[in-house]
Formats: sequence, C-alpha cells, structure tokens
Amino acid sequence: MKKVKAVVKLQIQAGKANPAPPVGPALAQHGINLMQFCKAYNARTAGQAGNIIPAEITIYQDGSFDFELKSPPTADLLRKAASVEKGSSEPNRDKVGTITREQLRDIAETKMKDLNAIDIEGAMRQIEGTARGMGIQVEA
Amino acid sequence: MRWLEVSVEVDAEAAEAVAEVLSRYVERGVAIEAGPDGWHAGPVVVRAYLPDDDERWARRKQIQEGLWHLGQIVRIPEPSFRSVAEEDWTEAWKKRLRVLRVGAHIVIQPSWLDYEHEAGDVVIRLDPGMAFGTGLHPTTQMCLVALEELVRPGMEVVDLGTGSGILAIAAAKLGARDVLAVDSDPQAARVARSNVIGNGVQGTVRIKRGSLSDVAGTYDLLVVNILAKVIVELVEQGLCERMRRGAFFVGAGITSDRTPEVIAAFKSKGLEILDQRQQDDWVTLLAKRP
Repeated sequence: MKKVKAVVKLQIQAGKANPAPPVGPALAQHGINLMQFCKAYNARTAGQAGNIIPAEITIYQDGSFDFELKSPPTADLLRKAASVEKGSSEPNRDKVGTITREQLRDIAETKMKDLNAIDIEGAMRQIEGTARGMGIQVEA
Repeated sequence: MRWLEVSVEVDAEAAEAVAEVLSRYVERGVAIEAGPDGWHAGPVVVRAYLPDDDERWARRKQIQEGLWHLGQIVRIPEPSFRSVAEEDWTEAWKKRLRVLRVGAHIVIQPSWLDYEHEAGDVVIRLDPGMAFGTGLHPTTQMCLVALEELVRPGMEVVDLGTGSGILAIAAAKLGARDVLAVDSDPQAARVARSNVIGNGVQGTVRIKRGSLSDVAGTYDLLVVNILAKVIVELVEQGLCERMRRGAFFVGAGITSDRTPEVIAAFKSKGLEILDQRQQDDWVTLLAKRP
C-alpha cells in the first residue's frame, strides 16, 4: 500500500476544473500532474453542470494520486432545501430560512457516507451545526 | 496577477461551515486539505483565493466579518492571508522530477527531460499520474531490480496489478517476448495502455482490464506488486499454477510484518524462496517453481 501524503477536497463547479485557483495552487504544491486531474474531473462531471461536485484527491508519496467524487457540500444542499440564495452573514442573529426535520434527515442520508458519522442521528447533528452556521433553522 | 490566499485551520466538523462562508466571496470554489491520516485525524485547512487587487482590503474585511459571525456559534481561529503570485501551476509538478536510475541499467525518464543515453541503458519514458507505479516508490524500484536480474530474452511474463504499466514496460524492454499486464482498475488500464504506446512496446505488452481469471496459460515469470493480503489470496486462487517449471515469482508491496504469511503461501504451493529483500518497511520476495 502506498503511503498517503495528503488528502485534498476541492469544492468546485462540475466540468470546470482548470489550473486557476483553487485547483492550481492547492494541487501544485503537492507536485501532482494537474492537467491530468482537470481532464479526468471534467470528463467525470460533464453531465452535472451547474452543481458543485466535490472531488477528494488522495496524493501519495510517490507523486501518484487518485480521486473520488463526493456528494454536494452540505451548505449547497441546505440552501436548496431552504430555498435561499446564500447563508446569513450574521447567523447568530439573522435567520435566513427554515427547513423541516424531514429535510434535515434527507440531507443527512445523502451525506452519510461522506461524513464519517456513526449513525444517522450523528450525521443529522453535524448537518444541523452547519445549518446554524448559515442562519438556517431546523423546525423543532 | 496575484492572488490573496485565505486559509483557516479548523476541526473537520467546522470545515464545511467555513468553506460555505469563504465560498460566498470567491467565484471559483474552495480547497480543504487534510494530512496523511485523512479527515477527523487532526485539524484541516480550508483555503480560498481572491484576486489580490485594489479591493483586497474590503474583501479581507468581509471575510473576517463573515468568519467572526460564524465564530459566535463554533470556535473559528483567525484566518491567515497571504499573497500568492500566479504562476504556471500546470508546470510546477514537473520541477520535482529527475531522470532516475534504478538497478544497473534501468533509467526512468520523464517525457519532458533530456538525458544523455549510455550504452546498455534500458530507458522507460514515464510521467507520474493517476496510476500507481512512478518509479519513485521502494517497492517499484525493488521490482525493477528483480526484473533486471531475472528476465531473459524470449520469456513470457505476467504483471498483475500493473498500475502505470512500468513493470510490464521494463520486462518488455529487458527482452521478454510477451507480457500480459492486468489491472482491475479501468483508469490504470487506460494509463498503462498510453504508457505502453509511449514506450513503443505495444507489440509485446498486452493490457487487460481484469483479474486472475483473465490470465490463461502458463508463464516464465510473474510479477505482483500489490499487497501481502492480495498476493496470498491470488496464490490461494491458483496463481502459482500459471507458473511453468523453473518460472520465477516476484512478489512485492509486502510490509515486513506480513512477510511470513506470503512466504507460507508460496511454500504451500511448493515454491522455493530465492531471496528476501527489504527497503524501508517494504519487502520483495523472489521465488521459483522447481
């Protein structure tokens, strides 16, 4: 098994990886073949334009790498569920939207495999934390 | 052009929330980086990049405010800011690579570097990419040395778990008549195919996406650079039956603590252990079917 040097998750637009930031500086410092990543990412996300599709890149000590596509960022799913354009800039005071517990559970299920949570309750707590940070409330 | 890099070191749990705040001020997305042990094994760094222009102070202030508000809910350390010069990031990775000599005659040459050939050199042209086997790892190097010692002109060779195809290409260039290179990963099979063509050995090396069941017939040499567990499984599934009398087995990717299992598996199939070599924590076994 090759030794892992770092793991980098890029939250970027599907089909639009190119050497500009954040992709260029985030990957170039690890000495990996940037264009090969961009081409492969764009090919694999071609059908999902308009969405942010995170890629988790595992970089090995010998300079090789591989990557996996992940579920959309929690914040993206929360924005869609609450039908808001963006999160609150003052989340502790200014609430921008509300989602139901049902919606929270749906998002937790979508994100479950990427969260390392022990169970669905744990995943829901993590997502509720992200929601609070965005000024999105969860109905009691 | 210059960029302003914002970075915030946080717990993995807070990373998404921080990424969300930063992504409001950048158009092109954010990067989250974890160390060798992955997420949840210590802090991660969230980074985003803004144009470093006349608006920089206003942007910095917006980000600091956004993070301050988030900080009222979860603990967020101060962000750091750094100006980064735009460079040709596509070329940066090439700077670290050199022409590499392995064993007595094998030379691994990145495609964009010139190099003075010496008589007897076996040159493999290879650029690191999305497949294992760049020539920089001890297991790959030990396999190359073993192939240099064992491959004789006319041999028929199998490379299981070929990755970038480096070992199959080496076997072909060392004189093998036929090399079957197999990998279960479609990405590796594509990379290997392109490297085989780049080295002009497509007449000798056949790339197959598959596993042991795709290896028919018997051979003079098997090279398997994967993992101890996988080698043991392959041996149990009948890999050694693909060996002719007098054939060699080069097994690698074995950590020192797992070596006895592989030796036991080899012996259970009547193989004779010729040598056990170690570099760092990696062991390579050379075995022979009597």
